[in-house]
Formats: sequence, C-alpha cells, structure tokens
Amino acid sequence: MAPNHSNENGSIGISLHGVTAREQIFSFSVEDAPWSQAIRSDDPTAKFALPVDSEHRAKVFKPLSFAKPHMRAFHLGWISFFTCFISTFAAAPLVPVIRDNLDLTKTDIGNAGVASVSGAIFSRLAMGAVCDLLGARYGTAFSLMLSAPAVFSMSFVADAGSYLAVRFMIGFCLATFVSCQYWTSVMFTGKIIGLVNGCAGGWGDMGGGVTQLLMPMVFHVIKLTGATPFTAWRFAFFIPGFLQIIMGILVLTLGQDLPDGNLSTLQKSGQVSKDKFSKVFWFAVKNYRTWILFVLYGFSMGVELTINNVISGYFYDRFNLTLHTAGIVAASFGMANFFARPFGGYASDVAARLFGMRGRLWTLWILQTVGALFCIWLGRASSLPIAILAMMLFSVGTQAACGALFGVAPFVSRRSLGLISGLTGAGGNFGSGVTQLVFFSSSRFSTAEGLSLMGVMAVVCTIPVAFIHFPQWGSMFLRPSQHEERSKEEHYYGGEWTEEEKSLGLHEGSIKFAENSRSERGRKAVLADIPTPETGSPAHV
Amino acid sequence: MAIKKLLFASLLICSMIQSSHGATKERLFTDLEKGSLEITATPSRTGEGVVLAAGIDKLSITWKVSSTATKEPEFKTIKVKLCYAPVSQVDRPWRKTHNELFKDKSCPHKISSFSYDPTVKTAQSFDYTLERDIPTGTYYVRAYAVDAIDHEVAFGQSTNEAKTTNLFSVQAISGRHKSLDIASVCFSVFSVVALVVFFVNEKRKAKIEQSK
Repeated sequence: MAPNHSNENGSIGISLHGVTAREQIFSFSVEDAPWSQAIRSDDPTAKFALPVDSEHRAKVFKPLSFAKPHMRAFHLGWISFFTCFISTFAAAPLVPVIRDNLDLTKTDIGNAGVASVSGAIFSRLAMGAVCDLLGARYGTAFSLMLSAPAVFSMSFVADAGSYLAVRFMIGFCLATFVSCQYWTSVMFTGKIIGLVNGCAGGWGDMGGGVTQLLMPMVFHVIKLTGATPFTAWRFAFFIPGFLQIIMGILVLTLGQDLPDGNLSTLQKSGQVSKDKFSKVFWFAVKNYRTWILFVLYGFSMGVELTINNVISGYFYDRFNLTLHTAGIVAASFGMANFFARPFGGYASDVAARLFGMRGRLWTLWILQTVGALFCIWLGRASSLPIAILAMMLFSVGTQAACGALFGVAPFVSRRSLGLISGLTGAGGNFGSGVTQLVFFSSSRFSTAEGLSLMGVMAVVCTIPVAFIHFPQWGSMFLRPSQHEERSKEEHYYGGEWTEEEKSLGLHEGSIKFAENSRSERGRKAVLADIPTPETGSPAHV
Repeated sequence: MAIKKLLFASLLICSMIQSSHGATKERLFTDLEKGSLEITATPSRTGEGVVLAAGIDKLSITWKVSSTATKEPEFKTIKVKLCYAPVSQVDRPWRKTHNELFKDKSCPHKISSFSYDPTVKTAQSFDYTLERDIPTGTYYVRAYAVDAIDHEVAFGQSTNEAKTTNLFSVQAISGRHKSLDIASVCFSVFSVVALVVFFVNEKRKAKIEQSK
C-alpha cells in the first residue's frame, strides 16, 4: 500500500481506485493504471514545470514563464482575448471618420455600439457549452477564426445598416473571454484562481484601451501611403483581422486543453468521460447564484464595455479635447485593467485566505460599489482634472470588481464550470447592451447624465451579492451551516450528481475539487483537521 | 505605486490642456460683423435634385468685400470654409453650431485660405474641387475675415441667415476598393479553411490513437 501523503488540501485516498475495474478515469484524476497504486497523484516533478495539486492544476503562478501546459495556456488565453477586445472596439476611436463616410447619426452610432456587445451574449453562452464539450482550445480557435471574416468585411460596409450588422458579428468573438477563463480555471488551483483569472481577464480587457491608440495610429500610417481617409479606415481593420488569424493558429498548435493532454485524445482513450449537455445546462441554470453573478457582472464588466464605446466621444465633446487627446484618455481607462483586475482577483484571494468565501463576497461588494460611486462622480464632474481623476478611480474600482467576481465564480459549480463562466460573461454583455440602450442611444439624457445614472443603477444592482449563500462557507451576513452534512464541500459539489451517476463514480472529479476547495473556509481550514467524509474513498484500508 | 504614477501623469496632461486654451474662450460668433463679405458658390452642375460627387465636381467661388464693411482695415487673411446646412446637423451633435467660436463645429472643412489684398476692390473668384474626404450632406460656403492676431472679425456666407437658400448637396466617395474587397475575401476564406483543416486533422489523429 502506497503511503498516503496528505498535503494541506487533504488528498484523496486512491487505494480503492481500480478495484471494480469499471472506474472511469477523468481528466483531473490520477493517471495511474487500474492495477497500480504506486504512482502518486501529486508527483509533480516527473511531468510538470510547476508544482501541481491532485488535479494536476498548477499551484503557483509565474507570469514570465511559458512552460507547458499551464503558463502556456495562460498566455495563449489572455492574448487571444486581448486580440478580440481590439477587434470589437476597433471602430470606436475611428467613429469620427466612419460617421462621415457612412453618413451616420447619433442614433446609428449608439445602436451599433449596442450591437457590438449584444452578439457576445449568445456566443458567450454557447462558448461555455463548447468548452465543456470540445475543450478550451477549440473554443478559443473557433471564436478567433470564425469571426475574422467579420472583421475583414468592414471593407464592404456602405451604410448604417451594414455597419451595425458587421459590428454585431465582430462582437461574437468576445466569447473568447469564456474560453480564456475556463482554460485558466482548469489549469490553476483554487487558492490562486482569483489572481490568475484576474490577470488573464484584466490583460485581455486592456485590448479595449490599446485599440483606442492602435487603430488611430494604423489609420495614420495607411493615410501616409496615400490612401484617402474613407479607404484608410477600412484597411486599418485588416490589422485586427490578421492578429486573430495568427492567434488562432498559435492556440491550435501550441496549446493544450487540460494539464494531462488534449480533450479529444483523452476522451477517445477513455480517460475523460463526455458529460451530457442537458445535465450541464440544467445544473448551471438551476443554481440561483449563477443569475446573481449574471446581474453583478452586467454592472461591472457591462459598465466597462459601455465606457469603452462612449468615453472617447464624451471627453471630445464635453471638454473639447482633440481626437488624439480624447483617445489617450479613453485608452487610459482600458489600460488600468493591467493592474486593476489582477488586483481585484488578488484581493479576493487574500480575503479568502483570511475570511474564506465570505471575504471574497465582501471584497466583491466593496469594490463594485466604490467603482459605481466614482462613476456617479464622473458624470457630475465639470472640470477636466476632476473628471479624469474620477474616471481613473472609477476604472480601478469597477475593473477590480470584475477580477473579484471571477474569484467567486469557479466555486459556484464544478460540473457546469464552463457554462457558468459563459452565463456570467453573457451577463456582462447584457448589462452593457442595456446601459447603452437606456442611457446613451437617445437624446433623453446628455452623456454626463447618462454616466451618473448608470452609476446609480450599478450601486443598486450590486446589492444582490448579499444573497449569495454557500451552506459550507456562509454568505456576507450569514455564517456557514452547522448541519452535519450540508456543511461539507463534498455535499455541495456532490449534489450536482444523481445517485446513479455517483454509483458509477462519475462524480470523482467534483469530489477532488471539493477537497481542494477546503481553502475557502479561510483560516479555519488550516486550523481544523477535516477527515474525508464517507462519500469519498477512505484514507486507509 | 502604479496608481500614483497614473494620477500624476493624468494631472500633468490636464494642466497642459488647460493652458493651451488661453484667451480664445470668450469670442462669440454674434460679435462678428455680418455680411462684410459677399460670397457666392456655384456648383459645376446645377439643377433640381443634383447631387455633387466628392472628388469630381467643383465649386466656383466668387467673393468681394461688401460696401457696408466697417472693419475692413483689420482684414489680414480670408478663410473660406465649407459648412453644414441645418438638415445635415440633425441628430449629429458633433456638427452642432455653437456661438462660442472655439466650440463651433458647423464649419470644419477648409476650402482655402489666402492673404487679403486691400488694393483689389473687384470681385475675385477661384475654383475648388470637392475633396475626397467631404462627407455626404448639404452645404453652404462661408468666408471669415481674420485679423493679424488670428481672430475672426467679420464673415459672409453664400446662403441667407436662416441657411435655407443656395444650398447644395454632396455625395461622398464610398471609400471601397476592389482590391480591398478581394483581399478581404481571401483572408476570410483562409481563416475558415485553416480552422477546418486543423479540426479534421485532429479528429483523425484521435481516431488513430483510439484504434491503437
């Protein structure tokens, strides 16, 4: 019998694995052959460049490394997402030229802005399912390479209708957000997931800022070669298009779905079972926490997407800046993502270390509410220095809230992780569509009033976070359940599988995850010695 | 740390922007002398419903100083501009007419700028080919007389005060190019085909692995 090393997460005993010879080995399970118990689940040095947990997810985050498979997945993921942000918001800094070429009105521009974020509502939902079923690599590649034609087709656009249609189709590629977050969630362990997701999401979101500088620059360079403005802007869209194709190819050739290999290979060799989509969908939709996160993300990321579309024009009109200066201001909003979102994820992780999941929820509420308050201030600021200060504080608060939210999301479900990422992500786009439609597409409110009202709406829509309750960890105002069974993580994650599925051992991955998630108890996890409950395998036979 | 640097940089930018505005803030359009310049703009093609093509059609612009002009000694430069008629400003706040001259966005397109020769008293004219970056819209022509310190002192326009007469319509170039269209289709096809090839290839490899 192999000695049972217990790490601080409480490793699962493997002594009963393979006894029935019917056990299926899952993507996150130990890679031992049924007859051998000598190979340990946490023998990292043999295969991986980074220390890993029992699910082979990395325990350490090294941003400067490109090692297979963990860090490579991280970099491919965030850069793909970054590229898609560049494409989706590429039109925004060029709108002053486009509106002259296509004879657009303010309503046309506003509607196109709504369209640019609406497409992703559906594609983010679909992407969750695609990742669960086909793997993160193909999810990312589909998104990049199937929306590249839409980016190129800006060369055909001749009026408001076609402009709106193309921006709508380009917007589909924002689904890479889901595949990127899914990819990092399967590659990195729960303790650091807040920071890792925050970095991936934040650095990807920076694309919305970089594009405000990149596209005008590309436009100018093309004009220097002699093209008229009305041709140059169309050609400028080829750059995001190329980037998408290149990234798609890199993801497919260099990336790997899971720590142990690619999904199709693992599935075909029987190592990963294919889950039923209807079950995955049902458990995502049934969980009320998914919908609270949907609304919350709509007013952190949703607000951020809206600002990407309107802020350049706002500074240009209200403070009479030149297009160039307005672009720099707009870019700095998006660029704050570089540190703001990872900071939010990191703050969530630190709060979890001290106070567990309750800390994560409080962190989320505080960051999002503070960000929204600064948004109200931004709309009311009438002098330029105050407006810029308010905007920077607003950007840090809101973007950090996005990072903190994805410190919570991976724990809502194990079985439907992809779909929940998708639904939450879709919520972001939905919130953006709603805010742009209500506050920025008509002449009912001035842009300044729209900003303040959007801030008020965001404060109100952040309150639901108080209702997220985990029986094993508690919520903002309630302590964890004292009940014998419900207070165990295994009960919560095991609850996603039927008894029949459990008897087939299909839930093994969730049980592993449950044990690794004990860290969400905060300091109590370190103090208490929690024995593996009967639903898992016993430590010693 | 990064936050502090960002805040400092932004405050620096703000102060630079503030200082660049200077004393031009208070100059109003209503302060300018109306009708000092008499200007007419005749399109190369006229008629009911004629729309001029940007990059091709011309305007023949004739101007002279009106006998009622009182600030004529201050004139140093004449700036002629293409301005939007009210119908082209609807639902387009970036073309709005403002009384403050530095804010006014209704006349963004420069036609010509030349120094004023006080010795020539007769009407002068020149031709202007509509630039290829003129957007689709309805226009008139306005000329500002500018003094030595680059402040506008008087103006004249080719339409009446309500901006309803002598307007002409322009159709912009599409900006589309056949070579651009072809390149766009080629790259799009490449993108989709590359993805399909990868997908099929990997499925094949997985099948081979399974049969082993």
